[in-house]
Amino acid sequence: MISSIILSSLMFFIIFFFVILMNNFALAAIIYAAFLFFLYARMTFSERKRAGSGVIYRRIFQTVFAVGFCIAFITDLLAERGSMAITNQAMSNSELPFCHIAIPQVLVPLMITKSIIFPARISGHYAAVASMFLIWFICTITIGRGWCSWVCFYGGWEDGFSRIGKKRRINLLPKNKEIREISFGFFMFIILSSLCELACTYCEWFCPFKLVTEYSPVTSIPSLIATIMFIGLFIGLVVVLPILTKKRTQCSALCPFGAFASLTDRFSIFQIKIDTDKCSGCMKCATACPFCAIDIKTIQDKKGHPEITCAKCGECIKACPNKAISYDFRFNLKKGGCNCGSKSSAPKTKFGRVIQELLHPAQLFRFAAFTFSVIMSSGFMIKTLNIIFSPLAALISGGAK
Amino acid sequence: MILEAILLGASTGTYCSMYCGPVLIPFLCGTENPGYKRNAGLTGAFLAARLVTYFILGAVFAGLGYLVNDYIDPVFARKLSLFAYIFSGLILLCNSLGVRFPWGCSHNGCKVQKLRRIGNDWVTAVIAGLAVGLHICPPLWTAMTRSIFGGHGLPGLFYFVFFYIGTLPFFIPLLGIPFFTKRVGIIRKISRIAQFFISIYFIYFLGLQPLIFG
Repeated sequence: MISSIILSSLMFFIIFFFVILMNNFALAAIIYAAFLFFLYARMTFSERKRAGSGVIYRRIFQTVFAVGFCIAFITDLLAERGSMAITNQAMSNSELPFCHIAIPQVLVPLMITKSIIFPARISGHYAAVASMFLIWFICTITIGRGWCSWVCFYGGWEDGFSRIGKKRRINLLPKNKEIREISFGFFMFIILSSLCELACTYCEWFCPFKLVTEYSPVTSIPSLIATIMFIGLFIGLVVVLPILTKKRTQCSALCPFGAFASLTDRFSIFQIKIDTDKCSGCMKCATACPFCAIDIKTIQDKKGHPEITCAKCGECIKACPNKAISYDFRFNLKKGGCNCGSKSSAPKTKFGRVIQELLHPAQLFRFAAFTFSVIMSSGFMIKTLNIIFSPLAALISGGAK
Repeated sequence: MILEAILLGASTGTYCSMYCGPVLIPFLCGTENPGYKRNAGLTGAFLAARLVTYFILGAVFAGLGYLVNDYIDPVFARKLSLFAYIFSGLILLCNSLGVRFPWGCSHNGCKVQKLRRIGNDWVTAVIAGLAVGLHICPPLWTAMTRSIFGGHGLPGLFYFVFFYIGTLPFFIPLLGIPFFTKRVGIIRKISRIAQFFISIYFIYFLGLQPLIFG
């Protein structure tokens, strides 16, 4: 109880600084700060009662953030350019916003040719190359691929859609391994084709999120084909398949950043652990995993941890009836398995117990991931709230008069 | 002139390997028997085939001399590159579907016998090498110009050959591919999927689409 209060208080200060203070005590900032604090406090306290029960608050946050981000982003584009279409001027002045999905495609040509192949600003903008690289680097060594399930401003679309249907219409569990292989095969293809063309091929042809951000204007048949492709990919991979499979299909199969983050995740200090002694092999975790990171072989082989594509969302922890899955520090896991069955010594004093709870990997991971979420979302969400509520406020004040 | 050709190849070899990488890396990584000898043989077959194309191009350009200006312009060179993409894409597709498609095939590869014959690893290496040689990348264009202005006959012809020799050191790292594929078996499967995607991308996005729609 005390540890939850301490963590919530710490998060209160972070939210206060990044959301309220940075936005000059604006009403929208205060409302959003209250929403964030409610989510974190509820998450922390409910996790105390039952491990994994707090994941609902992560889902709410990510879905709200994804929709809010796109509203703010589109509004910015309309204000700057008057349209969502990419203009020749923005292209030639290298003023396109840079997103994290482009990082893996940019990295290899950057190492070989010492140039950025994406037409974006290098620094001085929230969506500049340097700031995105910095955020990615800090994220990699802390929460790793946890970015995809906690911070990614696109992932919320799929997370939201995957919760719409009550029943799973398509079971992808037997195909989880193949989906992971497609993900890395597609990643390899994107890297090589970007190197060959010296252009971000994923952004040009395969990004489904162009529908909710910015797109090339339809001026020729190839651009029409590109438009049909990204509309089709959005409807197919971000809307329909997540509803039918209850999985994040785009993130699992075709996101190059997801595959890249899976490879760099080994630098992260947190990992999900499966206690093979407690595991009964019910496969509920595999069914619940939205990233296809657990399959029959993972459990049969008693690997002690999910596969490489795990995004640490915590859905498996919630689904496990035997409480066999939990967050842990990577250095605590034995090589090739987990430290299953090993008992840590319980502290004798109350103070010791509080410290132990505070330093628990699950608490620290959630705290770090939510801090990233607060920092990333603050600017966009306040803009979105202003966009939504200013006509409402005008309407109410007009009605009062 | 020999030194100049080698140095030109060496200084622009990064770009050569960037164009050849998408063809060679998934193909060599996805091969069924990842031995050092076989890998070196396939790389050698690819490079030898590329040399043959360069040799033919060199002979044509050196023979034509200044007449090249009348027959070959950048638009023609670009079209030649599109065909290079289409041919190498087609052979990579035959190889990935006929011999090494990751799923739905028996352990010996796909059951489509005709594709299997066409998409044989050695045939793929040779045809891909011949096709990639047609890709007129900026360094090759430079070498061509120098070859034309270098004079008719043998000097022009050998300018291409020495340019090619200058690019060879950049392919040496490919000889180490079996080191990884032997240890991490999953790389082979992933490479086959990547090869399939690359072949489609080459055929349609880099080949047919620019050819048809400009």
